[in-house]
Amino acid sequence: MKTAAVLIIAIVAQAIGDVCLTKGMKAIAPAQTGGIELFDSLSQIAHIGLQAIQSPMVWVGTLMLIVFFVLFSAALSWADLSFVLPATAFGYVLNVAAGYYFLGETVSNRRWAGALIITLGVLFVSRSGDRTDEAPGNELRAAGVLE
Amino acid sequence: MITALLIALVVLGGSAGDLFITKGMKQLGEISTLNAKQLFIIFGRALMNRYFLIGVSFMAVSYFSFLGALRLADLSLVLPATSISFVITTVGARVFLKEVISPMRWTGILLVCIGVALISIPSQP
Repeated sequence: MKTAAVLIIAIVAQAIGDVCLTKGMKAIAPAQTGGIELFDSLSQIAHIGLQAIQSPMVWVGTLMLIVFFVLFSAALSWADLSFVLPATAFGYVLNVAAGYYFLGETVSNRRWAGALIITLGVLFVSRSGDRTDEAPGNELRAAGVLE
Repeated sequence: MITALLIALVVLGGSAGDLFITKGMKQLGEISTLNAKQLFIIFGRALMNRYFLIGVSFMAVSYFSFLGALRLADLSLVLPATSISFVITTVGARVFLKEVISPMRWTGILLVCIGVALISIPSQP
């Protein structure tokens, strides 16, 4: 099935992208316990920006999120947003697992349970059909007859 | 506080972005080719679509807020905390895009939200 294939590749790319971005950004500016006072100062932002664009991890992460975005948009050309969006929620499950395995984050039993329930929810959504709006004119637009 | 503000920007920007991008992509019509040249043409037309561009702008706001939030908190917390966007976007899809949300789909979306909420609660406050 076209929608499933496109979305599965999109979700995996997104999970890889999120892990790379987190590694890259944490390496630049480890979070401080006090947090930033409404963005510290403009020079601080410039400093972080310059470091970020020199980080290979940030580049790879951004590239992966672009792959996700292109596939996500492509799916939206034929499927409902209210189908595609919850379906991509399976990415949360991959992110929890990736946070645990690759970033050394602590994952409680409650979070694992949440991941399980999300999986169940995605199964329900996936059985609800992927296109419902079928507005008149869609076929004509697809054929290039209408703008 | 700042983390909460950034997460709010991630959510609202993301929902508005999704709605506009869907509107734009539906205008372009179903992509049903793997031909590289055809895909390139479609890509170009997307970049000229007004709704698509507005959507991407909202996404950019969402993305930079996300990067900022990641500096302050763990990925496995920041990401789940944006879960409320599923509700906002679904309501938006129903109102603005005229999508029909069946009971089966609502059930699934509800389960996704419950699951994401469970994940959002930090284990060690």
